[in-house]
Amino acid sequence: MTAQEVRLCGLLLREHFGEVVEKVGTHLLRSGAQNLRTIIHETGISLDLVKKSLCVLVQHGACVFSSGRKGPGSPTEYQASSDRILRILRYPRYIYTAKTLYGDTGEIIIEELLQRGHMTMSSNVKTVADRLTQNMEEGRSMDYSEVSSAFSNLVETHFLQRCPPLAGLGTTDASTPATPATPANPTTPATLATSATPASTTVPTPESFPDCYKVPHMTLIGRGKRQLSSEDGEEQRNAKKAKLDSDTHGDEGIYWQVNFERFHLHFRDQAIISAVANKLDQTSSEIVRTMLRMSEVTTSPTATCTKPLSANEIFRSLPSSYNIPRPILDQYLTLLVDDPMEFVGKAGESGGGMYVVNLHRALANLARATLESVVQERFGSRSARIFRLLLRKRHLEQKQVEDFAMIPAKEAKDMLYTLLSQNLVQLQEIPKTPDYAPSRTFYLYTVNQLPTARMLLQNCYKTVANLIERRLYETKESKRLLEKSQRIEAILASLQASGAEPEQLTEVEEMITAPEKQQLEALRLHINKLDSAENQE
Amino acid sequence: MAGRGRGRRTMSFSIDAVGINRGDSLPPSMQQPTPLFPVMEQKPLPLAGGEEAEYLLALKQEFRGAMRSLPCFIQPTAAHRGQSHFHLNCVLCQTLEKKEEQESSEEEEGEEKKKQEEEEAEGEEEYDEEEFEEETDYIMSYFDNGEDFGGDSDDNMDEAIY
Repeated sequence: MTAQEVRLCGLLLREHFGEVVEKVGTHLLRSGAQNLRTIIHETGISLDLVKKSLCVLVQHGACVFSSGRKGPGSPTEYQASSDRILRILRYPRYIYTAKTLYGDTGEIIIEELLQRGHMTMSSNVKTVADRLTQNMEEGRSMDYSEVSSAFSNLVETHFLQRCPPLAGLGTTDASTPATPATPANPTTPATLATSATPASTTVPTPESFPDCYKVPHMTLIGRGKRQLSSEDGEEQRNAKKAKLDSDTHGDEGIYWQVNFERFHLHFRDQAIISAVANKLDQTSSEIVRTMLRMSEVTTSPTATCTKPLSANEIFRSLPSSYNIPRPILDQYLTLLVDDPMEFVGKAGESGGGMYVVNLHRALANLARATLESVVQERFGSRSARIFRLLLRKRHLEQKQVEDFAMIPAKEAKDMLYTLLSQNLVQLQEIPKTPDYAPSRTFYLYTVNQLPTARMLLQNCYKTVANLIERRLYETKESKRLLEKSQRIEAILASLQASGAEPEQLTEVEEMITAPEKQQLEALRLHINKLDSAENQE
Repeated sequence: MAGRGRGRRTMSFSIDAVGINRGDSLPPSMQQPTPLFPVMEQKPLPLAGGEEAEYLLALKQEFRGAMRSLPCFIQPTAAHRGQSHFHLNCVLCQTLEKKEEQESSEEEEGEEKKKQEEEEAEGEEEYDEEEFEEETDYIMSYFDNGEDFGGDSDDNMDEAIY
């Protein structure tokens, strides 16, 4: 957990949960696992506020609690993980993916679930139906069964999963899966078991419970309710009154959360497909998409490549809109195999040729291409040439760099030193004599791909944090202006709703002067730019 | 200044080490502070635009706005004296709330008593202060100079106040 990550997590917590949660969260991130008393003492926040913040963090999966390190009798300790908080940056992408795959219903289901962390299926269905009904035309409302079926679809494709019930604190047995009686508190996937305690069991992942993806039997009949508007004389517009006398629907205690890993797998597939489309053409990307779709269920998330698929199977499963004859398909597959990015590999000859998608290798190559493009954009194409050369040839002396890159010595030296000072290129010393005398040592330039990639990732985190801070600063500076415009809009809206004359409307609009309007517009533009830059990161 | 010998011209750095040879011109003198942001040789690429990016932007801003209205957003002033009226969505929080309400009702009774005592004490002190500050027989509003007349209107700060 680097300092940049902690700073970014703090800003994200502040924006989404408020400053109290930010303080508690950053304290936990910096100090590791701590119990309640220590947190209160070191942050100086009151007990009930700390308790509430911890509840919020646990509900959203950012924090995990376990029995203390000193044995079963010691107080529970809380530990926050920065990975989960950093996922907040990707929420818009998750929601958009759900929209493309499952339409508006899916989009709102995921959005509600992301906003609340954990929800039961019944409460989620109700809220989503109400929201959808709000946006529908008069007289129409959303049926709960439609929303339930969309929910079940999401569960079937593993985009949603149950929160596993927690093992009883102090006991050493693993808990029974899906017991509705115990309050369903989640455990995050086991990435934080570095401080392994002898007394407790290893942290179970949500998938280690067999009922993880089972939709509960739920009795929920009715339609979404439209919110009553505040004027008198307007009736409630839904047809049926929902038979919700009691609040129980048969699925109490079963909480659902968004399965981020599944979304990440989907993003990975999308990245590979779009890379193929950019490098080759649309048809090849369709072929790769078909292959990935066929191996969705048979490939484990951490596999290096998909299961081998024969060319015959691929031919049969191609979408019908692509009427390519069989020999052309073979040619495309050969092209894909020969491509230096190694997206597809050949695994055998039976069935017309067995082909696999090399997941890990494709991703590594994509990362390498990203590094190269970063160098190109920041330092120019000649530095990028040197960088690519070093990636290919691993270790080179300065003289060899100049020769292979065909760049004059002085400029090559300059560029190499710039790259070195930015830490994109490292120097490896190989001594000829044990005393490391400079005249008798080889100095080789090299690029370490993984540490360089990690460094760029940290730079990205720092950039996003800077963008957020700048946006907050801009908003604070123009707070007065924004409040004024909000008040004007509210006055306008109420006047319009109560049927005022146009003169009154124009009078109200003129209360805000033209330069102020311009200022507001510029502010809005800046903030939008900053926001979308954050998104891109 | 330390190191200033009698008539000897010594400087805190040695000339050879820094690399200034005889006859070389000094670097141009700085006449203004260094620029706020470092100079970039290459311009950065423009932001990715397009429909998808705009939709993602709208989603993000809506999400942030929605989070502020949810009970998960904790204001520092919300939990003073146990006035927690919002209902969080998890069982933990509900049991926590119940405990809090019990505790706060006990607290409130205790606090009310304390407050009454404090007010009495303050009232006495204030009375003492007033007597000792200005020994007048006139009401204090006699000495106002009309600054507060008219009140503050929140509506339009752009209209001139006459």
